[in-house]
Amino acid sequence: MFNEIIMTDRTTFAIAAAIYGGAFLFGLISLLMRRAYSRTIMFALLCGGFLIQTIALNLRGAEIKACPLGNPFEIAQFLAWSLVLLFFIIGPAFRLRLLGGFTAGLATLLVAGSFALPSWDAPYPPGIFGDNHWIELHAALAIFSYGFFAILSLVSAMFLIQQHGLKKKQFKGVYQHLPSVQQLDLMARRLLITGVIVLTASLAFGAVFWINNFELVPVFKLTATCLIWLGYLTVFILRIQKKLVTRRHAIATIALFILAMASLWPVQSARDTEALTEGLPTQVER
Amino acid sequence: MSEVLESLFVLGTSHHATPLEVRERFALTEAQASDLQKQLHSLEGIRECLVLNTCNRLEIYCLADSIERAKEISSLICDKQNVPSELYQQFAYSHNNLEALQHLLEVSAGLDSQMVGETEILGQLKQAYVTAREAHCTGKVLNRLFEKSFQAAKVTRTQTGITRGKISIGNVTVDLASRIFGKLGNSRVLLLGSGEVGEKTAQALKSRGIGDISVSSRTFENADTLANNLGVTAIDFDSFVDQLEHFDIIICSTAAPDALISKEVITRAMNQRPERPCFLIDLAMPRDVDPSVEEVENVYLYNLDDLSNIANENLEARKAEIDKAREILKKHAWNLWLQLRRRELMLKA
Repeated sequence: MFNEIIMTDRTTFAIAAAIYGGAFLFGLISLLMRRAYSRTIMFALLCGGFLIQTIALNLRGAEIKACPLGNPFEIAQFLAWSLVLLFFIIGPAFRLRLLGGFTAGLATLLVAGSFALPSWDAPYPPGIFGDNHWIELHAALAIFSYGFFAILSLVSAMFLIQQHGLKKKQFKGVYQHLPSVQQLDLMARRLLITGVIVLTASLAFGAVFWINNFELVPVFKLTATCLIWLGYLTVFILRIQKKLVTRRHAIATIALFILAMASLWPVQSARDTEALTEGLPTQVER
Repeated sequence: MSEVLESLFVLGTSHHATPLEVRERFALTEAQASDLQKQLHSLEGIRECLVLNTCNRLEIYCLADSIERAKEISSLICDKQNVPSELYQQFAYSHNNLEALQHLLEVSAGLDSQMVGETEILGQLKQAYVTAREAHCTGKVLNRLFEKSFQAAKVTRTQTGITRGKISIGNVTVDLASRIFGKLGNSRVLLLGSGEVGEKTAQALKSRGIGDISVSSRTFENADTLANNLGVTAIDFDSFVDQLEHFDIIICSTAAPDALISKEVITRAMNQRPERPCFLIDLAMPRDVDPSVEEVENVYLYNLDDLSNIANENLEARKAEIDKAREILKKHAWNLWLQLRRRELMLKA
């Protein structure tokens, strides 16, 4: 029974990944053919992938009886899910052309990457949040804020591409389908503000636990998380003061997102190592 | 009915083979065109007719009892315009039946236009059709042909790239401005100088919803006249540098011998508006904007060559789509021709 569930949720994740990949290929081929893709088809494909991924996350959540954020595989899946969810909120509201294609690309990269390394989906002890809903909320919000930063980095990448095209007098292909630099810059500003608020809220919820159980908190994880938060907060303050704008702002947000992603693996490893040294179970049979 | 279809023809002169000075001699006013249409329709043997009169072409679409009516029509035009018939014969063309159909479809899709893929011709065709229909000069056949030609034009535009990319300096500028600002409604424009290209560019931007345009010229009277023509305001030339930070789009077309806008001036203006981009269009020769301005963050500088290159490349891209568009139109023309023949057989039965 347990083995069947493992097969089921991983297969479901794989189907979602295939649909995201299909959406990305659809967008890419359209652009290579110098055509704007059909937004309806892109939206439908992302909807399909999102629904199936939601089912897969539910299956995994039911199995571990918590929000599935216990290993890098689940974090990558949850991050891709948050990214696509945010696209559904932002895409239709602001009608940012090509954002669907870029979202499909990053979602594919995240989910395909999570499948590429089998060790990422290593089993972990049950009750990783120790039945503490504040910690569960903290983790979910933190990854959700990374969803904001993921879509922010996409918008920033789109900004840099459009700006490069305008500066180099390029106007064919992808350039003519991208939104305006001003629209993208404005959207990046909004996403940064929202992302920082969500991450701050996540850290505030986490802090309630950390203050009372400081000895249980992995130091590396705490340091890395705080550094990422400080990085985004700095960019946020500089942006509000109009000292870090447009191109430099776009580069900073992309660099920070890469750093945030790069920190996830060591943070996860640090947690497992500390669990080992404290004699806690690190694996559970499924 | 068989004779009727065999006598569908188009007769005309256009920019393809007729030089401007000859086209001028055949040019008709709106009233003259309408008058000609009525005269043609009153001729014996002309069942349906439509006059298409634009700056680049004068065409008469006709359904007559005989192809020989084309000669009468050309004589009538020459008499009316006081032009020797030999001159008309030298430059005029005519197409019959399926060829006439194909020609109409190509005209409506903009394939036959000077600027390939332009859509103004479709509006002119629609207007000519409405005028002819209201004057009861068209009937079942021409009504069907023209309505189908409008549909075919739409299909061709959707399925090919013949209308893709802008091909005039003004429209290329509007396109670029949209890539920088998105919606242009809130953008502020400064037009420096009273050159014609600058004026047309400002008009193109105005047609896309920009209401806030200021004009500045070394001679205030020129600026004032141009501002009145455009329905905008004129500002003092001596103070424009201090006001640059307030403008999103700056069009330069002065006859100044040296650059008016330096990197330092733009850097100073951009420090006041770091988040808002600035689009500089330098249409002047010699240039009004120092090329090093391009290095300033969030500033986009395009000169006349840049804009012409874009327009020319777009035009080439459109031309590359002509064969594809022509194939689509051939199918439409053939289907339409078969429909007309079927109706003819049904009428006979």
